[in-house]
This record gives sequence, C-alpha cells and structure tokens, in this order.
Amino acid sequence: MSRIQHILPSGLILAVGIWVAWISFTREPAGAFLFPRLISAAFVALAAWTFGKAVLGKSRVGTGLSAELVRNLLPGLIVAGIYIFWAAQALGFYTATTITFFVLLSLYDPAPHGQPSTWVKRAIITAGYMAVMYGLFALLLKAYTPREILF
Amino acid sequence: MEFIYYFGDVFAPMSFMLLLIGTVGGLILGATPGLSPTMAVALLIPFTFQLEAAQGLILLGAAYTSTVAGGAVSAILLKIPGAPANIATTLDGHEMARRGKGARALQLSFLASAVGGVIGVLLLIFLTPVLSQWALAFGPSHLFWLAILGVTIIGSLESRSVVKGLLSGCIGMWLATIGFDDIMGAQRFIFHPALGGGVNIIAALIGIFAIPQVLNMFAKGRNDPNVEVIHVQKSPLREAVVELFSKSRALVIGTVTGSFIGLIPGVGGQIAGLVAYDQSRKMSSTPEKFGTGHSEGVIAAEAANNAMVGPSLVPLLTLSIPGSPTAAVLLGGLLIHGIFPGSDLFDNYPDVAWTFINSMLVGQILMCIFGLYVAGLAARVAQVPQSVMAAIVLGLAVYGSYSVQSSMGDVYVMASLGIMMFFLEKFGYSAAPLVLGLILGPIAEANFIQGTMIADAGDGRMGYFFTGTLNIVLIAIVVLSVAYSAFMELRARRQMQQTEALA
Amino acid sequence: MKKLLAALALTTATLAGGAAQAEGYPDRPIMMMVSYGAGGATDFQARIVTMTAGNDDALGVPIAIINKPGAGGRVGWNWLATQAEADGYTLGAYNVPHFIAQSIQGGVQYDADSFEPIANWGADPAVFVVKADSEFNSMQDVIDFAKENPGKFTYSGAGLFVGHHIAALQIEKAADVKMAYIPNNAGGAGAMKAVIGGDVMGGVNNLSDAFRAAEAGNIKILGVADLERSEFLPDVPTMKEQGLDVDDASVNFRGVMVPKGTPQEAIDKLAALVPEMFKNDRIAKKMKDGGSPMKVMNREEVQAMWAKRQETLKELLAGL
Repeated sequence: MSRIQHILPSGLILAVGIWVAWISFTREPAGAFLFPRLISAAFVALAAWTFGKAVLGKSRVGTGLSAELVRNLLPGLIVAGIYIFWAAQALGFYTATTITFFVLLSLYDPAPHGQPSTWVKRAIITAGYMAVMYGLFALLLKAYTPREILF
Repeated sequence: MEFIYYFGDVFAPMSFMLLLIGTVGGLILGATPGLSPTMAVALLIPFTFQLEAAQGLILLGAAYTSTVAGGAVSAILLKIPGAPANIATTLDGHEMARRGKGARALQLSFLASAVGGVIGVLLLIFLTPVLSQWALAFGPSHLFWLAILGVTIIGSLESRSVVKGLLSGCIGMWLATIGFDDIMGAQRFIFHPALGGGVNIIAALIGIFAIPQVLNMFAKGRNDPNVEVIHVQKSPLREAVVELFSKSRALVIGTVTGSFIGLIPGVGGQIAGLVAYDQSRKMSSTPEKFGTGHSEGVIAAEAANNAMVGPSLVPLLTLSIPGSPTAAVLLGGLLIHGIFPGSDLFDNYPDVAWTFINSMLVGQILMCIFGLYVAGLAARVAQVPQSVMAAIVLGLAVYGSYSVQSSMGDVYVMASLGIMMFFLEKFGYSAAPLVLGLILGPIAEANFIQGTMIADAGDGRMGYFFTGTLNIVLIAIVVLSVAYSAFMELRARRQMQQTEALA
Repeated sequence: MKKLLAALALTTATLAGGAAQAEGYPDRPIMMMVSYGAGGATDFQARIVTMTAGNDDALGVPIAIINKPGAGGRVGWNWLATQAEADGYTLGAYNVPHFIAQSIQGGVQYDADSFEPIANWGADPAVFVVKADSEFNSMQDVIDFAKENPGKFTYSGAGLFVGHHIAALQIEKAADVKMAYIPNNAGGAGAMKAVIGGDVMGGVNNLSDAFRAAEAGNIKILGVADLERSEFLPDVPTMKEQGLDVDDASVNFRGVMVPKGTPQEAIDKLAALVPEMFKNDRIAKKMKDGGSPMKVMNREEVQAMWAKRQETLKELLAGL
C-alpha cells in the first residue's frame, strides 16, 4: 500500500486538529473554550505524530483502499447518500426507503438480472421489509418519521 | 424480606401478561438497531396511561431490563450497539458471530445478563440505604477522575496502534464539544446548522458502527466470488452453561464492576460495560485473546451492563434523582401516576414499589429463557445475504437516528460520521475509542468546570481535586491502569522482537 | 421502474402537501415541540395538559409531543423559530424567563417577537434550598455567612440564563453580597443532587422538585422567590418577607406558543380553546398529584407577562 494513502487521511486529520486548536484559542468566552483548548492541544500533538509517521512511511496499521473496493463501493455510497441527504425528507421516509431498498437490492444482489423471477423475489423482499417497518414503527409504536408523506 | 410478600402480585394474570409483553417487546425493541432502552421505555409510557400504577410500572420495568439485554443481539450479530452500554459487547461478540459462533455468543450474553441482572436487582432490594449514600459520595472531582479512568481504557480497546487509538479518542472528545456548551451557553464549532444541538450520542453511535458495516458490505461487490458463507454452528445450551461457569472470573468481575459503577448518577450506565471489559482483560490469564472473539469479553460486558440496571435505580427510588436518561423517563412514568419517589416510597406505596422491583427480577429470568429460546434462530441473521442486510441496516439507521429527537439534522450527523468512520477504519483508526471520547468528554468537562468553580470558592484547586480518600483511590486506579497498559505494551513489543529475531 | 415510482411518489407528495391548508382547522393531529428531554418537568407537564386535546369540547384532535432537547432549550426554540412550519399544526412549549433571557444574552435565532403566545398553564417559582442537616435555617443565615465570607457560599442551579440563575442574581443584588453560583450541566435534577450530596452549600431549584425532596426529608426550603407564598408550601416565607427585594421575575412560566407567521384564524381558535382545555378537572387533579403548580392565563395576559419580563431581564442582565 502506498505511502500517499496514509499521508492523505493523517494530513486531513492534522488540518482539522489545527483548525480546532485555532478556534479554541481565539474564540471568546475563554471559560467555555477551556476544555476545547486542552483537547485540541492533545489532538494536534497526536495528529502531528501520526502524520510524521505516515510521511516517513512507517504507518503499518490499516489496509487502505484498493481500486476494486472503490469501484464496488461507489454505486451503493451514492444511492445511500441520495437517500439520506435528500430523498428521506423530500419523498417521505417510507417511500424513500422502499425505493432505496429495491435499488440497493438490484445493485448488489448476485442473482442474474435477466430472469423475471429475480425481480419478483426482490420486490417481495422489499415489500416484506417495508411491511414490518411500517407495522412496528407507524402502527404499533406511533413513532414519528421524517415528514410522514404517503404514510 | 418484605418483597417476597408482594411476589403474588407479579403473577396475577393481568400483571404477568404485561410482564411477558414487556419482556418480549423489550427484547425486540432492544435488538432493533437504533432503538435505545431510553427510547423504548419512552415509547411505552403512553400505553401505561390506561393501566393502574403498579401494572404500568411492571410493563416499564420489564421493558427496561430486557431492552438492555436485547441491545446485545444487534451488537453481536450486526456490530451495532443499541446503546452505549453495549459497545463493549461488540468487541468480542461480533468476532464470535463472524466465526459462526453467534448462537454461543448470544447464549452466553443472555446467561451472563441474567446472572448480573438478578444480582443487581437483589442489591437494589437489600442494600438500597447503603447504596444511596455511595451514589451521593461522588462529587464533581470524583466524577472527573472517573472520566479520566475511562480514557485510560482506550489503551486496551485499541491494541493495534495506541497513538491512533488516543487520537480517535481526542476526535471523539472534540465532537462532543460541538454545539452550545451546557454551562455557559456559548456556541462552539457549529459549522453547519444540523450541529446546533451538538452531536447526539445515540445518532453518533448508529452512524459510527452501522454505516461502516453497510459500506463494507457494499465494498464486497455484487459478484464477489468468495462470498462469505458463514456456517452457523449449533450450540447446545448445556455447553453454554458450562462455559459460562468455567469463565466465572469474567462473570464476577462484570457483575461487581457493573453494580458499583452503575450506581454513580450520570456516568455509570454508559461506561459500566467498557470498564468491566477492561478490568477482566487486565485480570485475565489470556489478555491477548480479547478482541479476537473471546467469550470472556462478552460475558464481562453483558454481566456488567445488566448488573447496572438495578443499582442505577437507587438514586431515583430513594432520592428522586434520576441517574440516567432511562431513569428520567421512568420518573416521568411514576409521577404521571401521582407517585413521588423518595425515601418514604416503600412506606407510602409498598405495593407499587415492590411490584415494580419484583417485576424486574422475574423479568430478568423471563428475558433469559426467551432469549435462549431464540438465540439459535437469531444467529441465522448472519446468513441473510449481504445485499439484503445492507439495505435493512441502512433503513433502520436512518429511522433510528431520526427518532431520537425527531430531527433530520441527527440523520445527517449520523451519515457523515459513519462515512468518515468507514474511511478512517481503513487507515487503522477505530470506532470504540472515538465513541468513548464522545461519551466521556462532556462528563469530564462539566465536572472539571463545576469542580474548579467550587474549588475557587473554597479551598483551592489542588486541595479540591487531589485530597480526600475517594479522590486518592481513583487517582491510584488511574495510575495503576496506565502503568499496567504500558507494561503490557512493552512486553508485547519485546515478544514480537524476539519472534522476529528468531525468524 | 425507478422513475415511475419516484414520479408516483412525487405526485402523491404534492397532493398531500396541498391539502394541508384545508378549512375547518384543526382537522389533523397537532404536534407540540418541547425543548427539554422526555421525563423532565416541562415534558411531563406538557403531556398532562395536552392529554384531553382530542375531546370534542377541546380541539377535537390529539396533540403529540415531540422532544427537541439540548443546550438549555436553545435547540428546540431555534428550530421552532426558523425551521418549523407555521401552519397552525406546529406548537411549541415555552419556558419564561428562559427563552427571553437567552435571547437577551444573544447567540440564538429567536427573541420574544419570533413567537405568538397562546396560553399559559403553569408557574413554578424558584426556591432556595439547603441540605436537611445544614446549619442555615433562614435566608438571613445565608446572607450573614455570605457577608462574612464573600464569594465563599457555593450554590447550584440548573444553568446560566434560566430561572434559577435569574433568582440567584436577584438575591445577590437585593442583599448586596457575592456568592458562588455553580451552574449544573444536568439541569434541575443535577443541581438538586449537588445539594443533597453536599457538593455545594445550597441551591436554587424548582418548587415542584424541591417540594418532593423536602417531603422525603432530604432538604430544607428557606425561601420562595415569588410575590406570595405557595399553596404547596404555606409555611415557607417569600424572599420579600425575609427582607430581600426579589419579585416574581424568576418564576418559571410554562405555556404554549406558535411560531410567528401562523395564520391568524389558527391563533384565534387556539387562543380561545386552549385555556379552556387547561381548566379541565382531570388535568388539574393530575397536575396536583404530580406536585406541579398550575396557573392558567389567556393570550392577552401572557403577552403582557412576556413584555414585562423582557424589560426586567434586560435591566438585570445588563451588567453581565
């Protein structure tokens, strides 16, 4: 695994640490930032240590990312991102979950796409899951969900 | 012995039915990722309006005990702790499940929960007056040292790289300072409106544990030739019982730590499991096995977090001070029936008070029986196809983080933290120390600030934080804990060098 | 397939959203935001006073409570002022003087003009408490000690810029002494624990919680920060009776409000129905059983009370 892969995250963490320290030591009231100052000092010290080790190529722990992993991950990550950051509120929780569930199943289920039976199976699983969720949360517990549109 | 007199009430048909509903319902709610015991109890309160006071409390008491145990199910099978109490259970429990020993892990966790839980409730019954004094003995300086003790545990949670473990802990503590500060009301690090209320611990817990799981399943891809087919091993109950008692050291450490730490208002419930895990690792003859699917870890953690249930109610029942969020919800449930907890509770409403406590005692046993019954079945969750599992967990994570305080902001926080954690894990940072920092940060900060304010008005900071028996005892434990971790680290390093030299 | 589902969902969503402004308000369940956690005093009282909302002589639709706790109530009120839909179906519980004091302190997105009051249901005065075995038996004892040891008397309260803090400021100002107010991060319950556990020498707390703790023999109540004695504590003198010029500015008033911009018809309807709903006998009994003092006020009375608080608090907090 390349050294760059370790330098990047540890550099980012160091940057966040410096930002946190900068805010902690400059903002008022001092009383409210006493504890953040303490933490950010330790934060920056440890982050610098890790960053130094990464630059020297001595980071041993962690498997890093491979091209194949990223390729596999991306479609799911994008669908999940759309679901969480937009659809869950815009379409209503149950609608958005139904759609996302079905899409994710289609993306990652190894069964062949060509056969109609695969699609029927996926639809049944989606319907079953939604029925359980809706029955438990909406009907039995009467709990609130993001904008109860459609349900 | 008065409590025996009221046992009959628990077994009245209506009460027993409620007890069963509470236990089974509690287990299911507790096992649902994203529903914490506090949430589960709060959701059940409206149902108690129609019931008599004693019956309503039976339902709540049974639900409280079984949701805590139920949290172990998702912790073991999905690596998603339902509440902070279950974090320690994920460490070894999920490793066991990955090796097909999920059924055994579940059996052990239910058995250990029942043993710890029953002892905890018995302590509540017999030692309440003594225990309430112990709960009060912890002032700001002691709670501060206790939080520091919690931080030292990071060394044993993260055995791969202590520096990265400590860094994760720092990140967690920083995340905890986001939002309005509790005491001054100043705004800190609110760089997005969703963070106005700070990072909610339950939402963070769901994100940090559940989302990396989901993403890892995605990362395996659609046509992975070596799809993990986990062979779920059968686990005869008799063998589980034998194993539990052969690991009696972990069981005892878990129960004792859980009972005493659980008492401390505001701190106990959240860290009891982790402290017990750490202690039993340090006292074990095979500390290196912890974290690799070692049953002692599951036993200690689960015995501790159920042992805590009884004692955590002591401050509530005797002093009317809720020691945990769940206790605060239970207080609401009591008040709504016109019952004021206080030292005279057992004189004024003996039937209600004792029935409530008895129901927790019987609830522990019912929970264990029911849990053991479904353990083998539940372990099959490991065989659910990855694609289905990922989608299910994702939906539950969104639901769970939203429902904590009906806020979309918490969902965004959950998802952002989760995605961040997925990448960090790939580079050797780990979730448990980060969450520990998130939990302990506010405790350490609030008590440090209150302590300094009190100390400045009185006998100075040195005198306030460093004198007094309890302070000194706690400091000594902190020093010992650090020294021991360092010693273990050195020994491990020397061993590694020796093996390298030989090879 | 995906597109079809999405389009279908979108259409239905628009339809459902459009139907919200139908006539005959209210025709669907109403939501009430409580800016404190489940199980706390405000939450507990809010649940009791809204339990009869579904009756035909009240609103005819149920009120569901939603908790948005955090930062002493700031999170919930920020949400109500900026994000809540002002459609008459979103109510909020208020705590005066808390939210007014916070808006004077600054850093929040609301002030008294961001909300429209509907009705008040409760008034919980602040009381001064000490541990049951304390050497202090009256406010005079406390003041005498503070005069001899300036800044040495430690006493707890639920935080800064809440009723307890206001009462503490008023007491120190009235007696012209300096004492050490220790704000607690765990609210009234945490502040009470600090008193009972002996972490601090005294404390300011809610009358309802102090009443319970005193009944249990854990604390003594030395004075009530209100204009007259409480019916729960007929033997405890007010601050004024003990020579301290402290009025009712710190009394914790709890009631219902809506965000600004809510349709006037909805406000009028709520203002007419809600105070009547609070006067229900079942509610009064439950509240009394729970040790919570009630005080029903209508919209005009609450508006006057808010305006008066705004003035007193500005003056009191100016020096901070």
